[in-house]
Amino acid sequence: MTKSFTRSSLCALGATLAAAPALAADLPVWDDYSYEGQVAVIESLIESFEAANPDVEVTRTQRTFDDLALTLKLAVSAGDGPVVTKVNQGAKDMGTMALEGMLLPVDGYISEYGWDKMQSQSLLDRDRWSEDGKFGEGPTYGISGLAEIVGLYYNEKVLEDAGVELPLETFGDFLAALDKVKDAGTTPIAMGTAKQHLALHLMAAISQAQIDAPNRAELDDLIYGRGGSWETEGNLTAATLMQDWATGGYFFDGFQGISGDDAVQLFIAGQAAFLTSGTWYFGDMQMNPDIHFMAVPAPEGVAHPLSVGGVDLAWAITSLAADQETQDLAGSFINHMVNEDAAKAWAAAGYLPSTSLPEDHGLELSGLLEEGIGVWNALNANDAIGHYPDWSTPTMLKTIDDNTPLLLAGRQTPAEFLALLEADYESYLATMN
Amino acid sequence: MKSSVLDGPVRKNLVFVLPGLLIYAAFVFVPILSAVGLSFTSWNGVSRPEWVGLGNYAELFGDARFFTSLKNNAMLMAFYCLIPLIVGMALAAMVSSIRSREQLAIRTLLFMPYIMPSAVIGIVWQWLYNPAFGPINQGLKAIGLGALALPWLGDFTWALPAVGMVAVWYYFGFCMVIFLTGMQRIDPSIFEAARVDGAKPGYVFRRITFPLLLPEIRIVLLLTIIASIKSFDLIFTMTRGGPANATLVPNIYMYQLGFQLSRYGYAAAVAIIGALLIFAVNYVIHRTIRPRDGA
Repeated sequence: MTKSFTRSSLCALGATLAAAPALAADLPVWDDYSYEGQVAVIESLIESFEAANPDVEVTRTQRTFDDLALTLKLAVSAGDGPVVTKVNQGAKDMGTMALEGMLLPVDGYISEYGWDKMQSQSLLDRDRWSEDGKFGEGPTYGISGLAEIVGLYYNEKVLEDAGVELPLETFGDFLAALDKVKDAGTTPIAMGTAKQHLALHLMAAISQAQIDAPNRAELDDLIYGRGGSWETEGNLTAATLMQDWATGGYFFDGFQGISGDDAVQLFIAGQAAFLTSGTWYFGDMQMNPDIHFMAVPAPEGVAHPLSVGGVDLAWAITSLAADQETQDLAGSFINHMVNEDAAKAWAAAGYLPSTSLPEDHGLELSGLLEEGIGVWNALNANDAIGHYPDWSTPTMLKTIDDNTPLLLAGRQTPAEFLALLEADYESYLATMN
Repeated sequence: MKSSVLDGPVRKNLVFVLPGLLIYAAFVFVPILSAVGLSFTSWNGVSRPEWVGLGNYAELFGDARFFTSLKNNAMLMAFYCLIPLIVGMALAAMVSSIRSREQLAIRTLLFMPYIMPSAVIGIVWQWLYNPAFGPINQGLKAIGLGALALPWLGDFTWALPAVGMVAVWYYFGFCMVIFLTGMQRIDPSIFEAARVDGAKPGYVFRRITFPLLLPEIRIVLLLTIIASIKSFDLIFTMTRGGPANATLVPNIYMYQLGFQLSRYGYAAAVAIIGALLIFAVNYVIHRTIRPRDGA
């Protein structure tokens, strides 16, 4: 009985396998889209790619930003990772992988699919690494699907209740609004430093808003590893303001024990007037119609302040795409993730696409997204998209994370804090020379 | 006496041991030896490892952050070992005097934290400690003790004790169960004789219970000290070593060095030092805590 059962089971299995259509290709893909709204979009895009390529099966692995950074290099070097992956730009991830030959240049696909017409050169520069390790030049190793701006979210109702007049025109208006909100008994700035990087985003946003776009070369050189200094007037202003706000009660009570994500949720619940973070929270922010988005307003004498941001993690092809056919399939997949249809899918879900939307997109966009697109267009027009500070060295994120709590607690002066960032940078430059 | 097939020469019995030995070697020996080898190299996880001899160890002994992690670990030992041992022994003394049915219920309840995965416990306690909506601070504010409602896991002074108290909560039930087992092993007639001689409870504990529980104390110390030096999951889920390294321990440091900074050789050196510490501390316990009957 058992033998005959086993035999018939095997026959049935064999028949099923024989009947199933053989897939010509399996495409392992890793990404960092972990918020609910993002997952829905990426899965629908993968579905439409598979529908257009019936002989391809995409196996998607979803990782958080941190998990992706932890596992990607090891997985690819072990030969067991993705063929297409999202990868963080900057020295720590994309830079290391490009130099070690773990990523393949996508310049051929840029011209084949016209990505350079959909996205500006300044955005594509963020995915370039030269053979001698220079950031921002040389072959291109990826392209992103989403734009990112680290800007100023504000709660209109909270501000009006505190007697703040909108719109905020200048950086001085912003500082005055903080005082008014505090006097009204509400927390001015949503902050949580226990996890994630809200403090880094606030500091970088304030610092880079002090830079006028025509004078951006110094910042570009610093981030692209060409030299420069962290001990600038803008950084000192930002670090000093952060310390004053932390010790003066401008952040949530107990912000040191609150994670960044929790602080965002408290902001959405109307517990604070301002939050400085990225457009990746647009999906969540739409839950509160009082929340709006703008760039950090310009200080006096600055016409076009920089806003931190650029693009989300880039889609890239790994060295596991061994043959031309697999590489072309990967290129075609990436095109599907960044073309105009993908841009429309992201916009429809409330996210800011990096590829320009066609004029006749026919979408009913949320108010928040309209504001985001307005800021994005203005920044692009003025060449005012800044940089994430942690892209500058492989260890900068950790250096900032380790020392920000000391700065905010008043255990480090702003000058001491900046000296540590400078030391980290100099040490990295020394290894490059 | 009947001879067994296992009484034969080692080379003949090796065939019985070989499958287990191979698995053990593949999953324990080889990784340990690889880590030792790695600790003599500089390796970013991608390119070819570069031989640096004892360079990583030399750097480690001048690394202030490593010594911070060792100091934090030493402080955590009080929470992983000492406090659970004292609380566990006190509870065992109390629970052992309760009737058997109630004893079973209380023993089970007190042991329950130990059966939960420590990573889950870390996440739950992180929520309990949350300054904005965690029930601990909400409770303190509700009873008029708002001044004590601190950002526990973000406070330089309180982050380590806050994590440590979770370790106490996790381990005291385990210690209690071990001590209860030890107490059941002691011949009741010894206590009876002491009572007849008029010995007071404190004297009985000091001169009879405590010395006879030394084998259990040794086991508890060995296991909890190993757990404290191995500590990772609770701290990772609650603070990730922050704020500003206030809860950094060698294993978290090793993780940061390896997986965040891609310094795998140096991280391996931290791991090797951690393992040597475990051996050293356990050796000291073996040598110093010995039951009087030589057991």
